[in-house]
Amino acid sequence: MATTATITLTSADIAGDPVNVSKTATCTKAGATTDLDQTTGLNRVHLRNATNKVLLAANAEGNDLAAKVYIINKSTDPSLYLTITINAQTVGKLYGGDWMFFPWSQTDTSANIEVAATNWTSSTGDIPVEYALFHEDTDFLTNA
Amino acid sequence: MATVNATISLASDITDNTISISNTSALYKAGGTTGLDTMTSVTKRLTSTDQVDLITTGSVSTTHAYVYINNPSTDSIEYFNITIGNAGAGSPTDAEEIGRLYGGDWMWFPWDVDDDICITPSVSTEMVVEYQVFS
Repeated sequence: MATTATITLTSADIAGDPVNVSKTATCTKAGATTDLDQTTGLNRVHLRNATNKVLLAANAEGNDLAAKVYIINKSTDPSLYLTITINAQTVGKLYGGDWMFFPWSQTDTSANIEVAATNWTSSTGDIPVEYALFHEDTDFLTNA
Repeated sequence: MATVNATISLASDITDNTISISNTSALYKAGGTTGLDTMTSVTKRLTSTDQVDLITTGSVSTTHAYVYINNPSTDSIEYFNITIGNAGAGSPTDAEEIGRLYGGDWMWFPWDVDDDICITPSVSTEMVVEYQVFS
C-alpha cells in the first residue's frame, strides 16, 4: 500500500530560463522503506473563527515516527488566509487556493497543528479547509 | 510579474477506496493576484550534525514566501530535522521542529518570514539539501 506525493513547480518567466521542478516522494515509515499504512483520509472543515483551532492534535509517541500532512485553503478569495502554527510557532499564511505538504514531528503533546481564519469576519464567509494525514503506528494519534 | 504554479498530486491506496488529490495553486503576493517575482535556488552540502540556518529572514524582502525543500538522498535513514523559530544570526538557537525530511522526501509550505528556517542533518557524512524560495 503506497502513498506517493508529487510536486511540480513551473514558471516560464520568473527567470531567464523556464523553471520546471518535479519530484515524487514515496511516503515511508521513519528511516525505512516500508510504506506508511494509516491515514485520516481527506477531511473538510469550514472555519469561521479568527482564533486558533486544533486541526491535528499531537501525540508525543509520534516523535520518532513518520507523518505527512496535506492542507489546502479551498477559498476562492485570494485575500482570505489561514495562519498555520505548530506549538504556537507561526509557520506561514495559507491564502485562498494555496496548499502545503510537510513532514510532521510530534516533539511533545504541544506540537499541535493549529489553524486560524485570521482575517475572517462574518461578512467574508467561511473558509473551507481540506486536510489529510498519512502516518504510521497505531498510537500515533489520539483524536485525528 | 511572473506566473508560478505549484501542483501537488497525492495518490494513496492505504484505504479501501483510493485517495487521489490534485491541486494547482498560482503563487501570488500576499492577499492579491499579483504574481511573485523573485526566486532563489540553492544546493548545499553539509558535513556535520550541527544545526544551521538554511533560510534566513534577511534573505527575503517580503513577509510572504513559499518554500520548497528537498532531501535528494537515496538513503532512507538519512534525514534533516526541519525547524523554524528564533534562530540567532550565525548561531541557531532552539526552534520549533516541523518535521523530519527523510531521504527522498520533499516539503512545500508558505513562510511568513518572521523566523529563520533551520536544518540539522542526522549524520555527519555529507548530506545534500536543495531548496527554493519564491517571494
